[in-house]
Amino acid sequence: MNARKTDQALRDLLDPPSPPAGFAERVLGAIRERHEAGAAALAFDVAASARGIASLRPGVGRVEAESPRARALAERAREELAEYLQGLRSYFTLPVDLSRAASFQRSVLEAAAAIPFGEVRSYRWIAERIGSRSAVRAVGTALGRNPVPILVPCHRVLRSDGTLGGYAFGLGLKSRLLALEHDTPALVGSDTTRIACRHGCPDERRVAEHHRVVFSSVREARAAGYRTCRRCIPTDGQPFRRSRVGTR
Amino acid sequence: MRAVTEQSGSEPADAALLARIAAGDDEAFTTLVGRYERRFYAVARRMLGGDADAEDAVQTALLRVYRNASGYRDRWSGSTWLYRVLTNVCIDHWRKRRQLAEAPDPGDALESRPADRLDIDRALAKLPAEARAILLLCYIEGLPYAEIARVRGISVNTVKTQLSRAKRLMRRHLSEVKT
Repeated sequence: MNARKTDQALRDLLDPPSPPAGFAERVLGAIRERHEAGAAALAFDVAASARGIASLRPGVGRVEAESPRARALAERAREELAEYLQGLRSYFTLPVDLSRAASFQRSVLEAAAAIPFGEVRSYRWIAERIGSRSAVRAVGTALGRNPVPILVPCHRVLRSDGTLGGYAFGLGLKSRLLALEHDTPALVGSDTTRIACRHGCPDERRVAEHHRVVFSSVREARAAGYRTCRRCIPTDGQPFRRSRVGTR
Repeated sequence: MRAVTEQSGSEPADAALLARIAAGDDEAFTTLVGRYERRFYAVARRMLGGDADAEDAVQTALLRVYRNASGYRDRWSGSTWLYRVLTNVCIDHWRKRRQLAEAPDPGDALESRPADRLDIDRALAKLPAEARAILLLCYIEGLPYAEIARVRGISVNTVKTQLSRAKRLMRRHLSEVKT
């Protein structure tokens, strides 16, 4: 096919599909509903050591910290969680203290921490990634005892058939978190600076709505001529720097 | 069908509607939805390949328009801003769905469609999301290169590069299907 023929073929094939009956009314109704529903506030109890956040539980907003540094980390965790739950943040800048987890559980949690915001993987994927193909069930148990849910995103792990699997804090919360991530952008660029940030990065916050561009991956941002932010360091498939999670 | 970019007669311009929406005028929002539903649906449907996904994306995009209308600046035409919000949402939805799409889902959704439709949606699904958005803005909406560049926040040269890449991939895929 030559170029002109391609143009014509594309125009014919792409002939715009019409919306189904009642489309506008349905969309308007759903928008009103979603706008009014908003995000119901969730409070967490946070415990931190000087190494990082050690425990996170739905609760009443209590903070447990063994030092001033730990207290500062716990406060930051509460702020970042609130932003995350409002759809204003797609990543966390907090170290996590997994020193009390056994080594198998730690490797499961580290694998889960590598699942990018807004994406999902299967229990089997985790088992394969940590080199224990047959330990799918044990992976589920280890995730179920995740001391720092959300920060280590065990809610992004589903069954291979796409069903939800389990969640220590109820499947209702798991699907709420997945829906929240579905509606929140992950990577945002500015068309003036040509820099792509993770959503929630302080540099991204300064980008006005009309300068915002969303990219689906770091690769695509680069192909469009954007470089990645040096502050929030977006990467493909490795949302945390390794040192962020673990026993450092 | 080319996009209708001029406003006819007494109809308020997109920019004026956005200003009214920012001021809390729900009627202006309903008018805007009526004006853009077909165009938004067409792009989202071709971008994501399925009716339910398209509806979801249009919903999210219009919700964002509703909430962020005050962020619109009339340095641009209203449609540029609206297309940017829509393409941002579509690209984001696509990214999030990609891992699940490895399950046999897209084929099932398209089974009842005529063969050529099946082919075009399959071929489109193989393009990188950004290149696909640019292709659709060009061929469905009929936007000029400079406008596409503004919508996606890239240079006109990048638009041309991405477009020729998309066309090359489409040509290759469509001729594979034909033979």
